[in-house]
Amino acid sequence: MSFPKYESSRLATQPATLDPAEYNVSPEARKAQAERLAIRSRLKREYLLHYNDPSRQGLIEDPALIRWTYARSANIYPNFRPTPKTSLLGALFGFGPLFFWFYVFKTDRDKKEKLIQEGKLDRTLSISY
Amino acid sequence: MLKIILPTMMLMPLTWASKPNMIWINTTAYSLLISLISLTYLNQLSDNSQNFSMLFFTDSLSAPLLALTTWLLPLTLMASQFHLSKETLTRKKLYITMLILLQLFLIMTFSAMELILFYILFEATLMPTLVIITRWGNQTERLNAGLYFLFYTLVGSLPLLIALLHTQNNLGSLNFLMMQYWTQPLPNSWSSAFLWLACMMAFMVKMPLYGLHLWLPKAHVEAPIAGSMVLAAVLLKLGGYGMMRITTLLGPLTSSMAYPFMMLSLWGMIMTSSICLRQTDLKSLIAYSSVSHMALVIVAVLIQTPWSYMGATALMIAHGLTSSMLFCLANSNYERIHSRTMILARGLQTLLPLMAAWWLLASLTNLALPPTINLIGELFVVVATFSWSNTTIALTGTNIIITALYSLYMLITTQRGKYTDHVKSIKPSFTRENALMALHLLPLLLLSLNPKMILGPIY
Repeated sequence: MSFPKYESSRLATQPATLDPAEYNVSPEARKAQAERLAIRSRLKREYLLHYNDPSRQGLIEDPALIRWTYARSANIYPNFRPTPKTSLLGALFGFGPLFFWFYVFKTDRDKKEKLIQEGKLDRTLSISY
Repeated sequence: MLKIILPTMMLMPLTWASKPNMIWINTTAYSLLISLISLTYLNQLSDNSQNFSMLFFTDSLSAPLLALTTWLLPLTLMASQFHLSKETLTRKKLYITMLILLQLFLIMTFSAMELILFYILFEATLMPTLVIITRWGNQTERLNAGLYFLFYTLVGSLPLLIALLHTQNNLGSLNFLMMQYWTQPLPNSWSSAFLWLACMMAFMVKMPLYGLHLWLPKAHVEAPIAGSMVLAAVLLKLGGYGMMRITTLLGPLTSSMAYPFMMLSLWGMIMTSSICLRQTDLKSLIAYSSVSHMALVIVAVLIQTPWSYMGATALMIAHGLTSSMLFCLANSNYERIHSRTMILARGLQTLLPLMAAWWLLASLTNLALPPTINLIGELFVVVATFSWSNTTIALTGTNIIITALYSLYMLITTQRGKYTDHVKSIKPSFTRENALMALHLLPLLLLSLNPKMILGPIY
């Protein structure tokens, strides 16, 4: 029996030793991999030092998380620059829906008002208004 | 009314003269007693108002708000005890004095019988709140927050002063009793349109309306817990209360002038609810949820039907208690991990089960679970807007769904799942905190048994 060649799924990658591309990596790529590994292990060492520190009270400060929350909440406007694209997007999605809903509700209510003026709308049992 | 105002004023000498280990006990106990006095005003016998003097009165609209305000002072004092414990004695007393001063102005605002008095006190409430936010907030952004808060409200309310003075010139008096009989319908002209805008903008900024809501997330997030509680629970309702009072002067013009604000509120409900789904900061989520709920109140006040007014009043009281409770819960998180980021404190249900129960109840009331008064308010408003125009149900229905989504998102992120590793060493819940949550929830649940006292003058 011959099975089809194993293909890894998109989210579950193969281990590096089974990937044929691993064996032809250039020295620069190897150096980059080593640098990234050094950064990762330094961060992990710092985390473990904080984690196992018996005099630690409270949470471990992650500067990346602090920067991320700051960027998400308090640092948006200083990095905003009005360009044609942002102005168009702002007008379209900011004011557009308001005008759209204004049009929808005005026509609906005017239609209803016309029916009421003509006496055609049956409001005899309407108590919850 | 003096039996509430004078004791509240005397709370200030009480704080300054108390022994250091008695300041919190004295002020909390006496403010609870004052709130018990204000509960007597809830017994509104007819649809007239109870007039105490030429200056003060209570109505079935202002009595529940008054009871909410006085109920909130002991709660704010209880909530502030922890974060002030390391301050010097004078600073603690100053903080309590600010809270009491704010309470005093709020009580007088809700019971003012004259619109100019209401306006003066409306502005006066800004000062203690500003001091509380900018002096005792926790991050450097509090200065920016105070600035936004102060200037948004001031710029919105300056036209209101001019409009009130002009109206007093025309009508002779702005006393609420006489206003009902003396108002004439506004003529259909540009100047009436400006008068309408001038009168309403102050309250729109305060509520806040969707386009003018920028001050609210900043102020709520940067304020200390007592500031957040009072802001969310009472100061926002000042806007709603003011709108309901001032629309008596503004005649038939409201039905046509209200459209832009209706659109802003209806669309803004959905926008702010959706933003809640993407928040990382817990207090910011609760702040945006306040904007969303208040947008419903704006819609209700602008369509001016009986059911909508009932819904608006009920929603104001219900949201006051719920929002204040959520801020207290967020503060109990903050005091333990000193960060407002939601994902940093997960899985609290395993560690603090009683607090998880309060979180659950607060989230359930926030998403307007039957039979709470939150649901009554929201339902009345949704039904009234449906009769205003059938298509609004698309927007209000979507808002209800998204409200449920973000309330449950907040609950699940903070309570369920595996706890974060560093959260194991947090302090257990204090009795003070449990009492705080219980005191928030108790009126909410009791009012579900008898909601007619918060349904306002139309009931």
